[in-house]
Order: sequence, then C-alpha cells, then structure tokens
Amino acid sequence: MLAGVLLFLGSTVIALAQDDPVPPKTLTPGKGVELTTARCVICHDATHITRTKLSRGEWEFNIKNMIERGAPIAPNEIAPILEYLATYYNRDAAAPAPVPAATASAGDPVTGLLTTHACTACHQTDKRVVGPSFREVAAKYAGNSSAAAMLAGKIRQGGSGVWGAAPMPPNAGVPDADVRRLVDWILGQK
Amino acid sequence: MNKNKYLNCSLDVSRRNFLTRVAATGAALSAGKVLAQEAPKPPADPAGTVANSTVMGEKHAGMVVHSERPLTASVPAELHHFAATPNDRMFVRNNLLTPDIDAAQHRLTVKGSVHKEVSFSLDELRKNFPVVRTQAMLECAGAGRTGFVPRPSGTPWSVTGGMGCPVWNGVRLRDVLRAAGVQNHAGYVAGQGGDFGVIATAAPVIRSIPLDKAMEPHTLVVFGMNDGPLPKIHGHPLRLLVPGWAGSASTKWLHTLTVLDAPFKGTYMDTSYRIPRDAVKPGEKMPPDALVTEAWPVKSMITYPAQNAVFKLGQSVLVEGRAWVGEGAIAKVELSFDEGVTWQTAQINSATDKYAWRIFSVEFKPAKPGFTTALARATDDRGNTQPMAAKWNPLGYFWNGVHRVGFVVEA
Ligand code: HEC
Ligand code: HEC
Repeated sequence: MLAGVLLFLGSTVIALAQDDPVPPKTLTPGKGVELTTARCVICHDATHITRTKLSRGEWEFNIKNMIERGAPIAPNEIAPILEYLATYYNRDAAAPAPVPAATASAGDPVTGLLTTHACTACHQTDKRVVGPSFREVAAKYAGNSSAAAMLAGKIRQGGSGVWGAAPMPPNAGVPDADVRRLVDWILGQK
Repeated sequence: MNKNKYLNCSLDVSRRNFLTRVAATGAALSAGKVLAQEAPKPPADPAGTVANSTVMGEKHAGMVVHSERPLTASVPAELHHFAATPNDRMFVRNNLLTPDIDAAQHRLTVKGSVHKEVSFSLDELRKNFPVVRTQAMLECAGAGRTGFVPRPSGTPWSVTGGMGCPVWNGVRLRDVLRAAGVQNHAGYVAGQGGDFGVIATAAPVIRSIPLDKAMEPHTLVVFGMNDGPLPKIHGHPLRLLVPGWAGSASTKWLHTLTVLDAPFKGTYMDTSYRIPRDAVKPGEKMPPDALVTEAWPVKSMITYPAQNAVFKLGQSVLVEGRAWVGEGAIAKVELSFDEGVTWQTAQINSATDKYAWRIFSVEFKPAKPGFTTALARATDDRGNTQPMAAKWNPLGYFWNGVHRVGFVVEA
C-alpha cells in the first residue's frame, strides 16, 4: 500500500517504485482509429501509443519521427492521424468517450470499480455527498498536468482541507492500476 | 496483441513467406481504403529472429516486459544487488526484431575513411588482437524515463530501469580500427548491426561516435558477457561496448564499422537521441541546436533494502547501492533518511574498472517506528551532484534524479 505514496518537491514528484498499469493492446475506438492502427501498429505494438499521452505538438513531432523511421504514411494521412492521436492520447485534455460504444461491453468497468472500492459511499458523479462530485473534481483540475499523480496519491493517503473540513479516509487496499483508472475516469467527467 | 499468442508463436515462418506478407502489406497500404481488419499484421516471429519466449525464458522472473514488439524489459533496483549484473538481469532494449545470427559465418567489416578495408571472423578477432575483460555500465539513454513529469513518450523504464553493469569480454575497438588504418581526416565511427524490422522500410538503427571515444581503451568489440558467450538478445555474436554512453551507441549484432569524416546523418542521430542544451518547457519542441546524447550524467540507486521491506525497531539496516557516471569518477555518495533535510556520507568501495559502478553503503539504525525512506545522491569528481529531478527534455533522456526507497520499521 505504501508504494503509491508520493512526495512533492517543488514542481516535481519523486514517486516510490511503482509499476505502470498494463497499457491496452488496442487503440481507443474513435474517428481515425482504423487509419492510425493501419499505419502505426506495424513495427511495434499498440502499447507504444496507449501508454503515451502527449501534447498535440509532441504528437506532430512523433509522426514526423516515425516517417523518418520508415512508417509508410502518405502526406495526406498525417492530419487525420494527428487529429486522432491528439484527441484520444492528449496529455493536456481529457479524452472524449470512445466512439463506437456498440462494441464496448455492457456495464462501464470504471463504475464497477467505484462500487467495488466503495468510493460511491461518499462520492457521486454530479452531486456533492460527503466528498466532492467527480464533475467538480474534473473541473477543478482541468488542464493541470500533474493532477493525475497528485490525486492518485491523495486517494491512497486520504486527506482533507481541499473541499472542506470533512476528511477522506485512506483507501489503502485499492490496487495501483485501479487507482490510475479511477483517476483517469474522474478527470474525464464533464 | 495477445501476449501469450505472441510469446508462443512458432518460428515456422519461412523468409519467403515473410517477404510475401510484407509485399501484401504494402499493397494494402496503397489501396487507399483502410479498414481496421486490414491493419498489417506482421508475422510475430519472422524467419531469422529469436522468439520473445526464448529470450524471456533466460531472464529472471522479476524482469518486467515494457513492450513485446520490439522487446524491452528490465528488473527493479533490488534485483541489481550484485557486484556485476548477471546475464538474467541485464535489461533488454531492441529497436527492431532480435536477429538469430550464425557466429561461424559472421564477419566484422571495417570500411570508410580507412587505408584498407578489412574484415575479420570471430576467430580472427580473437587471434589478431589482445583479448580484454572489463566491467562497465551500459545504460539506455531513456533509462529512468518514468521519473519525468509529465511523461515523455518512449519506453517507460522505471527510475532505475534500463541499465546494468556486467563484465564484458572482447577486443579493443581501437586495435580493430588501427588494423584498417584510420585516415587523418576521419573523426567518427558508426556501427551497424544485423537487426531488421517487420517491414522493409524500417530504418536501420545507426549511431556514430567520435574517434576519441572509439580509441578509448575501454571501448570494445565484445564477444562475451560475464566470461561466457554473448547471449543472442545482447548482440551475439558481436556488439560494440561504448561504456558510460547512451546505450544506443553500443550497436548489437555488429557487422560493419564505417569510419567517417563527419557524424553519421540519419534519423537516429538527427531526430532521436538528442537532448536540449537547457531544459525546455514540457510539451515544447526539440530546439534545433539540441546535443547528441553522449555520456550519462552522475547517477545512483539503492539496491538494499527493497521497496516496502520490513525491519524491526532496534535492528540496524545496511543500506547499500550503486553509483556511476558516464565519464569521470564518483567522488562522493550521500544518503538521507529524512527526505533530504540532512545527508550523511556513505562508504564507497575502492574503484575497480574505469566504467564500473561503485558500491556504497551506510549503516542505518532507525530511531522511530513507521514508514522510513532512504534517498541516495552521488557527486562526481567534476563536482556534479544528482538533482532531485532531472531537467525535463522532450524525449525523456538521462533521468538521474535522486533515488528514493521506502521501507517499514515495526515497533
Ligand atoms: C517503420 C516502423 C514504424 C512505424 C510504422 C511506426 N513506428 Fe513508432 N517507432 C518505431 C521505432 C523503431 C521506435 C523506437 C523503438 C521502440 O521504442 O520500440 C518507435 C517508437 C515509437 C514511440 C515511442 C517514442 C519514441 O520516440 O521512441 C511512439 C510513441 C511511437 N513509436 C508511435 C508511433 C505512431 C503514432 C506511429 C504511426 C504514426 C508509429 N509509431 C509508426 C518504428 C515505427
Ligand atoms: C468516507 C468518505 C469517502 C470515501 C469512501 C472516498 N472519499 Fe474521496 N473524498 C472524500 C472527501 C471528504 C473528500 C474531500 C477531501 C478534501 O477536501 O481534501 C474527498 C476527495 C476526493 C477527491 C478529490 C481530492 C482533491 O484533493 O481534490 C477524489 C479524486 C476522490 N475523493 C476520489 C475518491 C475515490 C476514487 C474513492 C474510492 C477509492 C474515494 N474518493 C473514497 C470522502 C471519501
């Protein structure tokens, strides 16, 4: 449980050893996913993209870099691939919901986690209960690139004073991978 | 991609079959209309390559795989608690596939700005030149990348991942170059290896180093690791060792050395493996005058205790680790048990080989129960000290922030 404790030093974080969650093996469904998969999931697996969140400018650099490395991408394909990557794998903006929801399995897995880990006892998406609503949380940290790491630490350790006097108790037993998914999901609420 | 499916895939794909599939891929690509099902699916283990399952079968169970294609993997800090890194804990970093090369047929050719082009079999290398042995650091330029906030793209090595310090056996690169006779106007050497990508357009990974470094007596053409054969994944039958420098210079599966008058021009010199002179704002582009990554800055890691180890109050803990610097020497290592408020100087073992890591230790007797942390920071002989966090840079190279490990002291 202590592996997730984060220390803040100025603007940087020294995290204790912690493994990244296993990144998805396929790209998020959405406009441009077919072209991006066809052009980008050749030399390497999709995890090179799914483990990554970059600014639009960095994705632009990355695509140019991949073309130099031999990616078979026609000039008119650069814009739609960039648009896809900058929409679904953007460090500065939360990803919209995946598009063909039809293929997604029934029952949102993250909603399941909120119940399993009893977050719903104190939180709702759109209403303040004991703790803030997840929409309020997402709005407060919109555009804050270090929020995810901070919130992961806060969920583990608990704390008070940001939203009021009521404390959030430590959520010690929640696996790191779940904390990350929860944080990503919470920050994506609109 | 299904991990097990990939790992268990047989090698039963003929080279011709592979090439046919590559051609089919090209046709699908030029067809214009693209469907998800048409995504080129390369054969998982093309002919002439070593399967991931074979590579990982020889690795320590604690090794974490970061990518299956191309294969990248590394062990956590506590598994480095050895004088020299054993083969099964040495990190894996491919850019392309793992080629399966027949040592008996293999030759090393030296060409370019030389007086005469020469080539050697493995036996000839051993017979013609003094065989040397040295322990030396090899560290991927992106090692420790996960320390950077926000995270740049690239292999998500843990803060201590992507490096190791085994013993290398080989001959000096300078002896091999001198056999060809380096011309006066030459200034660089580029190594080329026998690895290849899943499609024919994949650019070969070629890096050049300045001749000064090539002529340094610890820069080797390696054929052995830890006094045994060089494992396939680490470059069998031949590789370069450019000790202390960004790992990509240490070309694996080496077959050609080209002596050049100017640095090699190619994507792996000009676009990748570059670092800005000064820190840039996260998300900003690589400045045009960015430097080629060469020697690693001073760095250290704690190898004992492991993260989350448990001790009893009153017990003393011999906190131990490793410290190194790409060029130069370690002058001092300090540890802090109060999150960097106070530091105490560690004992360091006497220097061994020039590019080997140094082993440091401090005996620590916790005064209070609870969660305790140890921080290590090294200083080199030029007065450079590890920062708390390395300067952010677009490709996430040279993370050398202070390493921090937490453990539990029970009352
Ligand atoms: C011709 C082969 C090839 C194709 C096609 C390709 N890449 Fe890469 N890519 C590479 C190589 C080689 C690397 C470096 C080795 C590694 O990290 O696996 C890499 C690395 C990456 C990385 C890690 C960051 C880095 O700079 O090393 C990302 C992210 C990435 N690729 C994204 C993409 C995207 C997006 C596309 C499609 C636009 C793409 N790749 C298509 C060869 C390719
Ligand atoms: C017993 C009640 C309780 C439970 C259970 C609980 N929380 Fe909280 N949570 C709170 C309170 C109260 C706050 C406001 C804390 C503050 O003001 O600093 C909060 C704050 C938060 C915040 C915002 C933190 C900040 O600093 O802005 C997030 C995100 C959050 N909780 C997520 C979760 C998740 C995920 C879970 C389940 C793993 C969870 N909470 C379980 C009560 C709870």
